[in-house]
Amino acid sequence: MNSSETYIVFELAGAAYAVRSTHVQHIEMLEHVTPVPQAAASVDGVVFSRGQVIPAINLRVRFGLPREQPTLRTRLIFLNVEGRVVALIVDAAREFQRIPPESVRPVQETLVGLAGNYVEGVATLAGRNVLLIDVARILTVEEMTPPALAAAPQA
Amino acid sequence: MSTENPSERRRELLDDFYAECDELLTALREGLSAWHSAGDNALPDRAVLDELFRHAHTLKGNSAIAGLRLSEELAHGMEDVFRAISKNQLEATTAIAETLEAGTQRLEHIIGAHRHHRALPEIQDLLATYRGLLGVPSPAKPSSASTPTPPAPMPPPNAATEANALATFVPARELDARGVNVGSIRKRLGELGPILQASPRILGPGSITFEFRLKVAVFPSDPGAWADDGVTWERIVPDRGEMADEAATSDPLSLTPSHLIRVDLARLDELMRITGELVIHRSRLEELFTQISAPPAGLREASIALHRSLREMRGAITRARLVPISELFTRIPYVVRDLMRDSAKKVRVVIEGGQTEIDKFLVERLKEPLLHLVRNAFAHGIEVPATRIAAGKPEEATLRLHAESDGDSVVIRVSDDGAGIDADAVATRAARQNLKLPPVLDARGLLDLICEPGFSTRDEADLASGRGVGMAVVAESVRHHGGTLALETTLGHGTTFTLRLPLSISITDAIIVGVGSERCAVPMGTVAEIIQTPSGSLRTINREEIVPYRDGLLPVRRLRTLFQQPPATDATSTILVITSDRGSAGLIVDRVIAQREIVMRPLTDPLLRIPGLSGATELGDGRPLLILDPAPLTDGAVRPVPVSAST
Repeated sequence: MNSSETYIVFELAGAAYAVRSTHVQHIEMLEHVTPVPQAAASVDGVVFSRGQVIPAINLRVRFGLPREQPTLRTRLIFLNVEGRVVALIVDAAREFQRIPPESVRPVQETLVGLAGNYVEGVATLAGRNVLLIDVARILTVEEMTPPALAAAPQA
Repeated sequence: MSTENPSERRRELLDDFYAECDELLTALREGLSAWHSAGDNALPDRAVLDELFRHAHTLKGNSAIAGLRLSEELAHGMEDVFRAISKNQLEATTAIAETLEAGTQRLEHIIGAHRHHRALPEIQDLLATYRGLLGVPSPAKPSSASTPTPPAPMPPPNAATEANALATFVPARELDARGVNVGSIRKRLGELGPILQASPRILGPGSITFEFRLKVAVFPSDPGAWADDGVTWERIVPDRGEMADEAATSDPLSLTPSHLIRVDLARLDELMRITGELVIHRSRLEELFTQISAPPAGLREASIALHRSLREMRGAITRARLVPISELFTRIPYVVRDLMRDSAKKVRVVIEGGQTEIDKFLVERLKEPLLHLVRNAFAHGIEVPATRIAAGKPEEATLRLHAESDGDSVVIRVSDDGAGIDADAVATRAARQNLKLPPVLDARGLLDLICEPGFSTRDEADLASGRGVGMAVVAESVRHHGGTLALETTLGHGTTFTLRLPLSISITDAIIVGVGSERCAVPMGTVAEIIQTPSGSLRTINREEIVPYRDGLLPVRRLRTLFQQPPATDATSTILVITSDRGSAGLIVDRVIAQREIVMRPLTDPLLRIPGLSGATELGDGRPLLILDPAPLTDGAVRPVPVSAST
């Protein structure tokens, strides 16, 4: 059990996802996000964290899922990925989990759709599938074209 | 949910304390040196003495508040001596001035040591000296208290500052055996040029050195031979000379030759805020003009003149915040001298461009990063004399501080002619510290690596480079102020760090505007004026909206377009006239909400690099408010996305 890694499990559109807890700085309730014009579609806007301006990424939009109004359970998960701090907007943050590496299986792409590009494995916890997210891949800018540029060819 | 915690708050208070100590110590040094240079047994000027007493007293009080007992006690001892002289209970002699100079230097050590969490020095020797001084009954003097202090001739404008060389002699038994002693050294130095000041320095129990300030025509070409006789040479930075010139040209009868005053930055901020309000008031006046069909003759001209004066006022306030960077640089030779005391390394400090002006706000915030770069250069860059000689370099290393302004930026360089940074060694160490190596280890990659929070070049934090303050902090501090850091290094030849910082500061005045349900801030510096115009006067020519303005036409952009909202249908349009060196453009907003002082936070994440946005701020509610960078509007760099393809 010593080699097992700890994860933060969260909810998105009824499915369970997890990020490595070493990447998680803190978790906050979603209060206010200032929209940023011309930003990528999945960037809902910016929030402050420790005096820094942090982009808030709507993970539903990032994964191609329908956007939903925030609720009392909506959370901002602040990640620090190699010095870069971003916040993920998720439906709910659930728990802190230890996941032994032997329970992680490769992902079956047909099951997870667009999110599959960002999932590095699946673990089964208490009979439930948890998708383990590769945070570095969520943050790649190339795939987050601003709407203005995306719209340009049509104009 | 405040992020403020007591330890942070205490650190801020301590920062203020250190900053004020710096000023007080500088003032003490200046006062003592004025007294000292007046000649043996010359009575120090009453005003100078009063100042010295006050500085010591303030430093005592501040130390007590900061809980630094050692400097409190020492300053107290010095204060007593000043008081005794001032009450004619003690005769002012050069020897006493020297003990007080030693006290000032010790105070600096104490405060420096406290700041850098080093071991605090001893003060009992000095306290004993002061007690001894005060125990000696003063020679009876005719009561001069009833007569005002005679208008003693002004001391020559600080003779010590005319010196261009500092020779420090460290006596030693072996030297004495060869007949080399203070007397013989003084004689030899006298042959090179006039000795303007000679002072013994007590460095600790049983350790004494003699410093001679000279004006030499030629700097000795054989420092090595002098070093054999226990004498080290240092050039004295020219800035002090310039300062002396300035003092000399001011009214020679004035007792306070300086016409400088200390102003709290907050007061300048306040002035800027009021100016901002005036600008808004004027724009309201301008708006009222449009409702008068036939304004009285000269009214418009008066308004334009007012506008011009307001702009000048803003510029003047901005300039009032600028201080010469020498304020930052002149500390460095002292720091380096301190470092040399605990080391065999020999370094001379060269300062260039000390008159370059920089915002006071930045001076405060650059102090630590600059000190760190200097300590780093000393600890890691500069080699010991033996190594330098073996490499065919002069025994004495050169640490160069250079500043220049470049457009809207200030460029600061810290260079040394030391060993350079060994990329392979850095990579090996980084790998051992489990840091990810950049793909290419060029200057950029190397800089990124040494700026990694986990990176350290020594196994133990050594004294010189300090503990817990790494290059990461330097890089972060520069980035935080919207600047950049660059590195050039050649193995065996030296290292240069270049800091480029915006001249304007991160606190600025901005106009808060509203568009739909959103608000954002426009830096006031870019807004020439705010006009209101009937929406009917907007025309579209070549798919570009324009509005008549003054004698010409002004291209306009709609903030709503940037925010992807449909155009407003108000009868009048509120337009911010944005000017840059490229030209003017108008920005149509829904409403002008307020004029506020804002603190700019940069948008550093790649996801937030959006042309036309320069940062975010908050107005006290913790919610980010975007700051527009309107300059690109004037050159069409931001082509707002058309809302519908048909327009």
